[in-house]
Amino acid sequence: MATKVRLEDVTKVYGNVVAADNITLEVKPGELFTFLGPSGCGKTTTLRIIAGFEAPDKGRVFFDEEDVTFKKPYQRNTAMVFQNYALWPHMTVYDNIAYGLRLRKIPEDEIRKRVKWVLELVRLEGLENRFPLQLSGGQQQRVALARALVVQPRILLLDEPLSNLDAKLRIEMREEVKRIQRELLITTIYVTHDQLEAMSISDRLAVMDKGRVLQVGTPQEIYFKPRSVFVASFIGRSNMFTGKLVERSRAYAKIYIDELGVEVEGVIEDSEPSDKVIAIVRPEDIAVELLGASTSTNNNVLRGVVEFKMFVGEKQELRVKVRDASIVAYAPKNLDLSIGQEVLISFSRNSLRALPYK
Amino acid sequence: MRTYSPRDLIIVGLMLMLLEYMFMQLNLGALQKSTLDLLLFLGALWLAAMLIVEERFDPYRIIYSFSWSFIVVVSITYIFLALALQLSGVARSIVYLLLPLALTALAGLVKVKAVEPLIQGRSIKSSLGRIPISRRLQLSLYRLDRVMIAFIAISLAILVAFLITPVLSIFQYSILTPSGEPWYHNFKVIFSDNLYVRKIFIGEPKPWEFIRRPDGTLELVVTGVNYGVLVNSITNAVIVTVVATALGVLVAFALARYDFYGKTFLRVLAVVPLFVTPFINSYIVKLIFGTGGPISIITEALFGFKVRIESLAGVALAQIMAFYPIVYLNAYSSFISIDPSMEEQAENLGSKSWRLFFTITLPLALPGIAAGSILVLIFSLEDLGAPIVFNEHNLMSYKIYSSLIGEAGVVTPEIAALGVVLIALSVLGFLVIRSYVSMRAYAMVSRGGRWHPRTRKLSVVGHVLIYLLLLPLIVFTALPQIGVILMAFNVMALDRFSINPAGFTTKYVVEAFTGGSPLAADIPMHVRNTLTYAITAVLIATVLSIIIAYVVSRARIKYVVELLDVLATIPIAIPGLVIAIGYYYYLSTLSSWGLEWSRGTPLEGLFIAINPIYGELGFQAWIALITAFVVRRLPYTARSVFAGFQQVHENLEEAALNLGASRLKTISTVILPLIVTNIVSGTLIGFIYTSTEVSTSVTLGAFNKQQAPVTYYMMYIYKAGTTEAYRYAAAVGLLLIAIQLIVVIVVTLVLKQRYAFIGI
Repeated sequence: MATKVRLEDVTKVYGNVVAADNITLEVKPGELFTFLGPSGCGKTTTLRIIAGFEAPDKGRVFFDEEDVTFKKPYQRNTAMVFQNYALWPHMTVYDNIAYGLRLRKIPEDEIRKRVKWVLELVRLEGLENRFPLQLSGGQQQRVALARALVVQPRILLLDEPLSNLDAKLRIEMREEVKRIQRELLITTIYVTHDQLEAMSISDRLAVMDKGRVLQVGTPQEIYFKPRSVFVASFIGRSNMFTGKLVERSRAYAKIYIDELGVEVEGVIEDSEPSDKVIAIVRPEDIAVELLGASTSTNNNVLRGVVEFKMFVGEKQELRVKVRDASIVAYAPKNLDLSIGQEVLISFSRNSLRALPYK
Repeated sequence: MRTYSPRDLIIVGLMLMLLEYMFMQLNLGALQKSTLDLLLFLGALWLAAMLIVEERFDPYRIIYSFSWSFIVVVSITYIFLALALQLSGVARSIVYLLLPLALTALAGLVKVKAVEPLIQGRSIKSSLGRIPISRRLQLSLYRLDRVMIAFIAISLAILVAFLITPVLSIFQYSILTPSGEPWYHNFKVIFSDNLYVRKIFIGEPKPWEFIRRPDGTLELVVTGVNYGVLVNSITNAVIVTVVATALGVLVAFALARYDFYGKTFLRVLAVVPLFVTPFINSYIVKLIFGTGGPISIITEALFGFKVRIESLAGVALAQIMAFYPIVYLNAYSSFISIDPSMEEQAENLGSKSWRLFFTITLPLALPGIAAGSILVLIFSLEDLGAPIVFNEHNLMSYKIYSSLIGEAGVVTPEIAALGVVLIALSVLGFLVIRSYVSMRAYAMVSRGGRWHPRTRKLSVVGHVLIYLLLLPLIVFTALPQIGVILMAFNVMALDRFSINPAGFTTKYVVEAFTGGSPLAADIPMHVRNTLTYAITAVLIATVLSIIIAYVVSRARIKYVVELLDVLATIPIAIPGLVIAIGYYYYLSTLSSWGLEWSRGTPLEGLFIAINPIYGELGFQAWIALITAFVVRRLPYTARSVFAGFQQVHENLEEAALNLGASRLKTISTVILPLIVTNIVSGTLIGFIYTSTEVSTSVTLGAFNKQQAPVTYYMMYIYKAGTTEAYRYAAAVGLLLIAIQLIVVIVVTLVLKQRYAFIGI
């Protein structure tokens, strides 16, 4: 049975920086949980607190029901994959992987079996006698993963494990990590600043900023229902407007957008009455059509001028000027547009979300 | 609102200076004068505080400006010296010119370094609420484990017992004063007595003079002026440092940035003066600048007179020649460590030649150069070889030395006070430079060669300049070491710089090794002593270095780490003579205290063995010498080991801890194997500095001559004045050169480590 991890009010201060600010959350047994945030947001510190390299100034850490707050790293049976892999350059691949097993006084033929198993798992058979410096980045990454997995840790910790790989390899390894995690069903905590990586790999994730956890949820929840402006802007692309709540019915609200000078309809999450709001629409929810050729049934329709366009392959990225606002939207790749042309842009009332202004 | 710049401070200073000058012209009583002085001083202080507090002055304008920070350091030194030496007249009013700048800079430094972080830290901590004491205790215990605690305890215990306490005992003795005198009596003597701070009278011998010799030849004798022991030492050290720095930077720049034929040869030759051959090399310098030397031959041919350089002037010359390669090595590695793109960017923007050098290259290389310069300053202050050879008694180092080995057998408290002044000068200089360097440590001094350094082909004119100026300079500074070798093989005359290849014989070298002549009979014994002590000391120092470097690089307890870091580095700044006096006081006190309660027990022997007062009757000099060597040479091994720890990413260690390895297991299986080359090279470098150590060897060693190291013997031969024996001293010098050469070759070629004097 996999292990559950619970953080209670975990706080850590370094000099003048609050690296972790009252973090409380729970990682379910066997899930792949990600801490996502910009650099310096405290995600690595949180991971290091779980690994036992740091102790929190306040708060507690639990593995299942066991309080491990002040347990040494070598008493926790976690295994970490470091951003720089931290492979020992003076040991072969085999010795690197066998290190943890030897410490556990496992007989040498059992070690041999397990190393063979784990090398098959990470698809690195036959490289046992190489030294780390003789391996490519991707292979080193797999060795680091193998070294962590072979000791059958309670929790697998991954600290930006893919950030040193090139873009193509990163996607490949991302799938690989997910496959292995699925296969072993080991509780895994993953740290990254790459939102795509976090969205594609995680069962659930926590978005962090300035030491605080802003939102915890599945990738879908985070993407479709961001609960703060930071989350909305950090994950995916968004158009943001300031506005006023004019009127609200049960499901939808009427919002006056300052920059556009019009009233639009949308969803408002926060039930508290709030005069000033921030309205968010994602570019992919906006339909772009030529004047007079409109077929969409969207409630919110605006008229604007194409200010800038960029061909990005499967679509065209536009910036459409509507009064004081410049709205990012995507148009189908074959739509014939020119700069300065007037277009209609529209979005449904379900795709506009209003958040309280802070 | 307008903010103030350093330039404004100079204008204010000018006004203060004029005021002060006017006051001096008025005929005022002493009391009124000192009141006005005080008022001016308080005015400057108030100005500095106001500017900083009101935020109308940004301290970073000084800290990050190359020229302003340099001016400030010079100003502070000037003010300190001018006040200590009680200068008068214009020299004194200049103090008031510099005062606002210096005070504002100091106040700004305090604000930036201490006050600001404290205030910020406070506000963050208070926003989080209090952390209970029990939790804090738990936190600091968590950061430590048994191994870490043991490491900290061992290293602190050793450093307290063998470094801090001996040095502190000097302070204790320095305030022992004749009854009825205040505690600072000894210091007052040092800062006012004619012996230490001398008034110069009209009609004294000039610094240089033409003398007609009996045989009718004309001779220019350069001696320098004796301003008293204290002033001489300071002036000499400053002159040596400035000249050595200028030379070192010049040579380093030429060698680092230009390609020309024979460059490798010059690079090798330029470090030759670093081969330590105590006393005998200074003797060769004396011959070079004597009436039979090459300089005299040239001047006689050109101008018709001979040149003889003696006393203080001779000491300064010998030290410049011996120490400038320290700056050269540091500057060289700084120059080639500068990322070429930094200079290319500046050139790209239109900067070139002098402007490029002074705005980009020099500021980037400055931390390395400053580190070298401060070493020169310290080495010059504590140097014994040149003063003994030039028979110059009016230097602090000589005073301390002569009173330690004097026949009286008692070291007066005045000498302790002199030791305190010496240590204050060097440690203050060291700490100032250290914090100055670390504040501007944006240059990457450590490992060069990650990129291809910028070099330029030299033009024909450039080649001519190099061969006309640089080549003679480098060859000339290498002459003492070459002379030592020539003298050992009987190729050079004993009393003049003349070479006679026909005299070649290996007799002296062989006899020095076998002891097969009355004059050389004791040499093998002293060589054995040196080797035994050096090996033992350096092995202990290595283990201690590993322990300290581990704590410093890994323990996350700020104050302990900083303390250990400073303690492991500071012995560089503590003159060996100060260690010697400290050990003298410390060991004799410890011994008399120990003998009291150990009477009749086996421990009694130990307490007799450590007491220098018992001399040949029972003092085991080796105990004191080995401990002193460990402490003195610790920085050299520690820096090398520490560099190793810095290269090993902490993650490598955490990966092992994470997989279940304990702290000791991690150290032995992961860390030590990775830094073994650093350890070995640290040990080797420590070994050469230990085997060539002079100041404690010749002082503590003198208390039991049978157990003295070989450098003591070299001094002994020199003092005995049997010129024939100089050849044996030269032979020992040859042996020392051989040891150093082997180590340098092993370190650079086999271990691939850079051989350089440590940066701070």
